[in-house]
Amino acid sequence: MDSGNSKVLEAQRLYGRLETSIFARNFDSARAFLNQLKVKLTEFSGLPPLYRHTSTQVEELKLARSILEQAVLLSVGTEDQESFELHFLQLKPYYTDTRHLIPPSNFEYIMLGLNLLRLLVQNRIAEFHTELELLSPEALKNDCIKIVVELEQALMEGAYNHVLRSRKVPHDSYNYFINLLAKTVRDEIAGCSEKAYDFLTLDDAKTIFKFTRDQDLMTYISEEHPDWEIRNRCVYFQKVKDFSLCKEIPSLQLINQTLGYARELERIV
Amino acid sequence: MTVASTASGLLAMLQEQQPQLKKYALHNLNSLADSFWHEISASISTIESFYEDEYFEQRELAALVASKVFYYLGEHNDSLTYALGANSLFDVLEDSDYVRTLVAKCLDHYIALRKTREGEGATAIDPRLVAIVERMLDKCMQDRKYQQAIGMALDSQRLDKLQEAIRKSENVPGMLAYCFRLARTHVDKREFRQEVLRLIVNQHQGLHSPDYLTVCQCLMFLNDPQTVANILDKLIKGDKIEALLAYQIAFDLFENENQLFLLNVRDRLPEARAGSSSGGGENTETTEQNGMMDVSTSAEAATNVEDSQDNIYVDRMGKLKGILSGETPIHLTLQFLYSRNKSDLLILKTIKHSVETRNSVCHSATIYSNALMHAGTTVDTFLRDNLDWLSRATNWAKFSATAGLGVIHRGHLQQGRSLMAPYLPQDGGTGGGSPYSEGGALYALGLIHANHGEGIKSFLLESLRKTNNEVIQHGACLGLGLAALGTADDEIYEDIKHVLYTDSAIAGEAAGIAMGLLMVGSASDKAGEMLTYAHDTQHEKIIRGLALGIALVVYGREEEADTLIEQMTRDQDPILRYGGMYALALAYRGTSNNSAIRRLLHFAVSDVSDDVRRAAVLALGFVLCSDPTQTPKIVSLLSESYNAHVRYGAAMAVGISCAGTASSEAISLLEPLTSDAVDFVRQGALMAMAMVLMQATEAREPHVAVFRRQLDKIVSDKHEDTMSKMGAILAYGILDAGGRNVTISLQSRTGHDRVMAVVGMAVFTQFWYWYPLTYFVSLSFAPTAFIGLNHELRMPKFDIISDAKPALFAYPAPTAPPSVNVNIKLPTAVLSTSGRSKSKAKKDTDAKTKAEKQPDTSSQMDVGSSTGATAATSEAASTAEPPEESSSGKEAAKDGSEAMEVDSAVEKKAVNPEATSEVLSNPARVIPLQEKYVRFPEGCRYAPVKRTPAGFVMLRDLEPSEPVELVSTDSPASPAPAGGANGAPAAAPIPMGGVDLEPAPPEPFVYVP
Repeated sequence: MDSGNSKVLEAQRLYGRLETSIFARNFDSARAFLNQLKVKLTEFSGLPPLYRHTSTQVEELKLARSILEQAVLLSVGTEDQESFELHFLQLKPYYTDTRHLIPPSNFEYIMLGLNLLRLLVQNRIAEFHTELELLSPEALKNDCIKIVVELEQALMEGAYNHVLRSRKVPHDSYNYFINLLAKTVRDEIAGCSEKAYDFLTLDDAKTIFKFTRDQDLMTYISEEHPDWEIRNRCVYFQKVKDFSLCKEIPSLQLINQTLGYARELERIV
Repeated sequence: MTVASTASGLLAMLQEQQPQLKKYALHNLNSLADSFWHEISASISTIESFYEDEYFEQRELAALVASKVFYYLGEHNDSLTYALGANSLFDVLEDSDYVRTLVAKCLDHYIALRKTREGEGATAIDPRLVAIVERMLDKCMQDRKYQQAIGMALDSQRLDKLQEAIRKSENVPGMLAYCFRLARTHVDKREFRQEVLRLIVNQHQGLHSPDYLTVCQCLMFLNDPQTVANILDKLIKGDKIEALLAYQIAFDLFENENQLFLLNVRDRLPEARAGSSSGGGENTETTEQNGMMDVSTSAEAATNVEDSQDNIYVDRMGKLKGILSGETPIHLTLQFLYSRNKSDLLILKTIKHSVETRNSVCHSATIYSNALMHAGTTVDTFLRDNLDWLSRATNWAKFSATAGLGVIHRGHLQQGRSLMAPYLPQDGGTGGGSPYSEGGALYALGLIHANHGEGIKSFLLESLRKTNNEVIQHGACLGLGLAALGTADDEIYEDIKHVLYTDSAIAGEAAGIAMGLLMVGSASDKAGEMLTYAHDTQHEKIIRGLALGIALVVYGREEEADTLIEQMTRDQDPILRYGGMYALALAYRGTSNNSAIRRLLHFAVSDVSDDVRRAAVLALGFVLCSDPTQTPKIVSLLSESYNAHVRYGAAMAVGISCAGTASSEAISLLEPLTSDAVDFVRQGALMAMAMVLMQATEAREPHVAVFRRQLDKIVSDKHEDTMSKMGAILAYGILDAGGRNVTISLQSRTGHDRVMAVVGMAVFTQFWYWYPLTYFVSLSFAPTAFIGLNHELRMPKFDIISDAKPALFAYPAPTAPPSVNVNIKLPTAVLSTSGRSKSKAKKDTDAKTKAEKQPDTSSQMDVGSSTGATAATSEAASTAEPPEESSSGKEAAKDGSEAMEVDSAVEKKAVNPEATSEVLSNPARVIPLQEKYVRFPEGCRYAPVKRTPAGFVMLRDLEPSEPVELVSTDSPASPAPAGGANGAPAAAPIPMGGVDLEPAPPEPFVYVP
């Protein structure tokens, strides 16, 4: 028991340092601490999937949960979506399976909302809805979740302005994803514009792309669409509009084939 | 209890950088795989990549997890691959479905690999797979499940493990017996079977008291005459019981009918040399009649001289060689068949009357039928009674009529040649008789000496060389083939080949068959030669003869014959394909080999030639003859085929494999076919039904009575087709074959195939093309006898008990009241015997006394049988009779003439229908199905050496000091013995092995050419 206790204590110490380094946005040292902590976690038997009842189980669970929550935040900080997913998946059992063992975490809804947002950004709509279905009604009422749900609805409707306008976030970590989302939306708009127009005036383009300043528009164009040409305060979409003619349906051939089959069928019988 | 609801966390952890985390995740995944395999399966590629990463520490663990997931996905092959990758982590001892399934899979895989291993290069088997199998085997042995271990070892062809399992088991002899049985029934690869048998032999030899019976069976299979000879020699040097064992071994070997092997064993036995010159060994070495010294005389001689060790040895050696050369068993069998003959002449008479004489097919069918009914009994009364009628047979019918005598006198080795003398070709060319009867006589000699032709070979060869007539050549070839069955004698082969190359259709056909008979089972390269000639010749008959011959050559060679079979079955000529079917049948006889069955079924439905299809279906009967219950199931669909030839084949297949079983499935399959629309299908079905119902009684199988009535109807119906009529007549012959004392069995009691029987059956089925080949069926007749012998190879008098209702296994009732029967036949008896005794002019006085005695005994018999008819034959009355006779026998014993007499004590008709058991006295008729009911009574003076109470059984005398009462076979009470209750006195004089008695040929009854 003592050794278990001391292990927990040591891990808790390490956790403190992890928290501070994340807070200080010192991501490299944070990552190093995290790696040490994760190895330590494998020695705790009270954690999923074993759930051994030990004297330190509650402590272990709480600690592990906090560590993983910090790990998720760290991934957001380092803008690493892969690591985000990894850690979130490891974290998830603490929200679902351990409800009767430890009190709910403060970060729970933030984490869930972040995950939903991530799925939305990655355009994994099916998983998004699966996750959504698993949530309790209370959770759905929570702001952290609600905002994501609304975003999704706006996206589906095509209410891009609504998406781009939402800037009020429940937690700082949301910003990363929201920005990503905004970029996604602009890309969508750009794609549509290319198809729809030969050219647009800069003013119109500004409105369509929901930029407030000309400068932002110019940066966006130069970064994302260098092939667009700007002449006479107009944006020319160079895209070759080779909408290939609809292929003609080989109806005559099909009819002949079908008739042939019918004839042969009759012959066989 | 908190249970994990998902494994996604762990799966995520697999993506981590640190190896510790991966290990942790894998470890947990391994334990959760049973419930979360579906989640893991999504990331299976990750786990696989871990396994493939050679630097990853836990690759075995990864393999185990992957294996489990694949197992749940139903991908057992992948699962097995990874399980092998998991090495020791895959715990064969774990008690879970996963492990059990995989271990089974593993074994299957391993067995399959071991079986294909024989191919080129012998690809090495994954050592990990081997390790698992070996772990399993070791586990079996630890758990003392030795039978399982033996089965696995046999299946996977691991001799080392087999040996280990046998050695470790507590009950080594039992395990060896088990192994022996498995090797015979389940090992389908011939080579490996031989290795196993070799191993069994070696193990046996390591035992304190080996089971020599089994050992010698194995050695016979291995074709190792030298070792058998050594064992036998050792045994007869030992005490009395060991000598008995040696005799028993010899008898058992004899039952398997492998002539070449028996002769080899005999020749390898040391020459018996001793002070006394009257060694039996010398006598058996010499050939021809004068060498056929009867065993009893040599025994007598031996008892006269000093009882020294040497003399005993010489005496025993003589007896042993007598058994091995076939003389003793054939002699005893003949005695049995003769004395117990219960054939019903009235049936033949009815047939004869109802058959139109002008119809030559039915006429000769009746002759065939008679021959079969009396096969081996030496009773030719019917022929003698109907000489006029018989003389209507001309040309080939005459050939078969003469050959029929050979069937009747089958095994009559001493007298065979003198019996046939009147018909044989004379030295001065074909002076007297017609070539047909001469050819037939040579064929008959072959039948008499079938498989034991040492004495007659040279004579037949001589006859073959001397003639240019193709009919005689035909007979001589068949005769030679039969007599020299399986001896692979090069000299004979060359002569027969010479006949073949004359390109005469008739002689060539017989030559082809004879070559096959000669080389049976030798797989000699002569087959190639024969095949070439079959392609060269124009005559269909020759091609057919050769095709069958080739099939005979590959007899029993199983997969060794596959190349040749393939060659034949792909041939353009349907006759050769037909031969290919027979080659399949014979090469895989009695093995139930799946690949053979598959090929046959394929040809049965796909070949363009009706003949080939018929042969293919028929061949199934041979392949499945060890497992009669299977055949009706397999051919049941074919028996409903639209193609009449296939239906015929199905009927015959059932007949062949279910012969003598009276199985109800077989009967219900055959029954509709006996009233088929096509005549030859009816013919086949009737004969097949007769084979199935051989020796069946109404009490056991009520259909027998129905069938007999049906036969009756067909024979007497004027409008019936000739073909089915012939079938019915032959069916009668088969049904009552050998005086109702034989059955068709293609396997000996020890489970080996009887070479002669299978060969005989195969050639018999050629009667479709050539009627005289019908006689070959007599080769497959096996006497259903229990013959107990003491150490002197004589039959002591004692009883055994059959714990079954007597009616179950009784003889069928005669067709008419016995009194009528007796009245009809009595005169014949007197006439023929007196005629015979006259012919023995040398011993006038003897003949007179006999002639006087004859009426006495027969009248005595008359009384006895009439009392029998009233079903009041009390035990007392019947047992009282033999002593009387034997006492009279002792008086005449000085004459040295010996003859048989019927022991009427064995009146086995039900004394009391309600009885649940009956007493049989030695020698007794015990039919195969009855064997399990037969036992030795408690307090019996004799104890058997082997367990099965059938066939030749050597007896241990438990009270050697008491005087031995022998069954009076050698008492010459009456030279022409009364014919038992059915009152059919055998006209043929049969002085069995009398040394100083003139060979007395029967009265010749030459039917006018």
